[in-house]
Amino acid sequence: MTQGQVDGTETRVRALLKEMVTAAVEHHGDRFKEVVGRVGREPFTRRTWSEFTFLTVGAPLAALGVAFVAITLGAGVILAITFFGLAIVALSVRGARGLGGIHRQLARGLLNEEIEDPEPFTARPGFLGWLQSALRDRTGWRAMAYVLVKLPLAVLGILVGFAMWWDAFFCLTYVVWGGSGHRVPVFGLPQVLFGSYFFSSGQSGFLHWLGVLCAGVLFFFAAPWAVRAVVYLDRRVMRVLLAPDALTTRVRTLEQARAQTVDSSAATLRRIERDLHDGTQAQLVALAMRLGMAKEKLAEGEDVDLDQVRRLVGDAHQGAKEAIVELRDLARGIHPPALDIGLGGALSTLAARCTVPTELTLSLDDRPTPAMEAIAYFCVAELLANVAQHARAARAGVVCSAHGGWLRIVVRDDGAGGAQLSRQGSSSSGLVGLTDRVRAVDGRLDIVSPPGGPTVVTVDLPLHA
Amino acid sequence: MAAGLRVVIAEDSAILRDGLVQLLVDRGFTITGAVADPASLQRSVEYERPDVAVVDIRMPPTFTDEGLRAAMELRRHHPGLGILLFSQYIETRYAAELLADDAAGIGYLLKDRVADVSDFVEALERVAAGGTALDPEVVTQLLGTSRRTASISVLSAREREVLSRMAEGRSNAAIAKELVISEGAVEKHVANIFAKLDLPVSQSDHRRVLAVLRYLDS
Repeated sequence: MTQGQVDGTETRVRALLKEMVTAAVEHHGDRFKEVVGRVGREPFTRRTWSEFTFLTVGAPLAALGVAFVAITLGAGVILAITFFGLAIVALSVRGARGLGGIHRQLARGLLNEEIEDPEPFTARPGFLGWLQSALRDRTGWRAMAYVLVKLPLAVLGILVGFAMWWDAFFCLTYVVWGGSGHRVPVFGLPQVLFGSYFFSSGQSGFLHWLGVLCAGVLFFFAAPWAVRAVVYLDRRVMRVLLAPDALTTRVRTLEQARAQTVDSSAATLRRIERDLHDGTQAQLVALAMRLGMAKEKLAEGEDVDLDQVRRLVGDAHQGAKEAIVELRDLARGIHPPALDIGLGGALSTLAARCTVPTELTLSLDDRPTPAMEAIAYFCVAELLANVAQHARAARAGVVCSAHGGWLRIVVRDDGAGGAQLSRQGSSSSGLVGLTDRVRAVDGRLDIVSPPGGPTVVTVDLPLHA
Repeated sequence: MAAGLRVVIAEDSAILRDGLVQLLVDRGFTITGAVADPASLQRSVEYERPDVAVVDIRMPPTFTDEGLRAAMELRRHHPGLGILLFSQYIETRYAAELLADDAAGIGYLLKDRVADVSDFVEALERVAAGGTALDPEVVTQLLGTSRRTASISVLSAREREVLSRMAEGRSNAAIAKELVISEGAVEKHVANIFAKLDLPVSQSDHRRVLAVLRYLDS
């Protein structure tokens, strides 16, 4: 290879590189400006200083927390053979829960980190109950784990985040106080990166001043990102350890569902009693009264007013028939007899009885459990009644099918739409009742009903529960 | 018989209200009003001044004990008005509240009792005349819950029958007729009961009711 060839290659390589850089700058120029702008603004944003405050406040809190846990847990373990030890451990768990709450509040206020509050601590009655509840408090133990993990996180925060601001401040103000030969008091990550020598008092001269100044500028713009990185780690840990855990959340949902079930069955019983009291019972009393009057008329002897007796017996007969109809309707509301022959048959009766023409599509291989069939039936009954009453629909459709352990019921109509779930107003109270009923068995009820329609209500129920 | 007694009916079930009106008119009562809620009852009593009110305990708005509250209110303002409370259930607590100070002109009957028309009409007349008509069910409950079982067991079977009917508010004549014994025999039983239970003897029927109920309830 000759010298000329080498020169030529070099020129070509340089030209190529130049071209690439130009293209890169042209191509990524906007992005570059954006990044520079962002980095330039970052030290002055509210978020940066909130995160810095979180780090600064959190550090002593972490130290206190670890001290608290170490002392109480340590004392508790040492005294564990006595009953007293358990009580101290319980206190430790309760305290940790409180500390966890403070950290969560800090995160909420300063980091906008919306971590849901866990269930409040509930103790069983009596001191032993309290002890047991406190020792079994998962939220408390998890908060304790956070308090312990928070200490290394806080140390890291001080060494990386806090140190960056500290060093930036002293480097940038070095021009003011550096003349008297003081050492720049750097520590943490910058010290590790640059080494103490660079900042030591042995150095002097313009280049040294300039170097320290440049380092200050670098630290100043890097500090927000260093803080952010540490805070990011902290956020991840908090989301795991300070949020309500899945098990507790599940228990809470189940408790709510159970309470709703109890309420709704009490309400159902009350409604049945009311219906019986106002309807059938009153009918029967009136019936007995008329028959009583007729009986006494007949006992009067010769001058019986047969017309009056006929009228009384006629009224009583009419009343008896009405009472039978009322009782039948009431009984059907408690348990639809049609369900005894299967969900399909019951639903086709419902569809046929609906005043809006309704098409039923059924694809079920095996029968759901009776409870699910009943809920499915009442859902379809209520939804079709709504269609008939409110939707002003011309057609309706019911699709009932099974998908891997789930029973899916879709009721749609081509009516006016605008149906919604709200706990206010009476028109939708049926839907709310249905939702509660469906949720009680871990099911779901979704309504899609834009103004102008069509309305599609989807109910998912477990086939076997 | 009923001799034009003036009656107001407060009952929220239309079927029963109409039935009662029909029954009472047939028996010669004058119906001054047939209403469905406590407020209308108060107004009707103010304007029409009836002799007796038939009041359903469960009425709107809450369907609990509105009728009872209305009855107590009426008694305060119209002491002469007889009140027959009418209910599908018997609650001993209601009876106790009702009879707290006086049993004169008070009745408390199960709605079923209208089926025996004559007994019902008789009870209504008794209440209108300032007597007492308690449902046998009330008396049974009181006897069942009474802590005085020891002293009641001292009574003979016949004396216990007489005691129950006394508590219902019946007169000696009515008790005699029902148990198919002479009035003299009833008087003897009553005297025995008062002696055995150590109750103060009183002449009027409703005071007698109160004495017996107090005894059973204490």
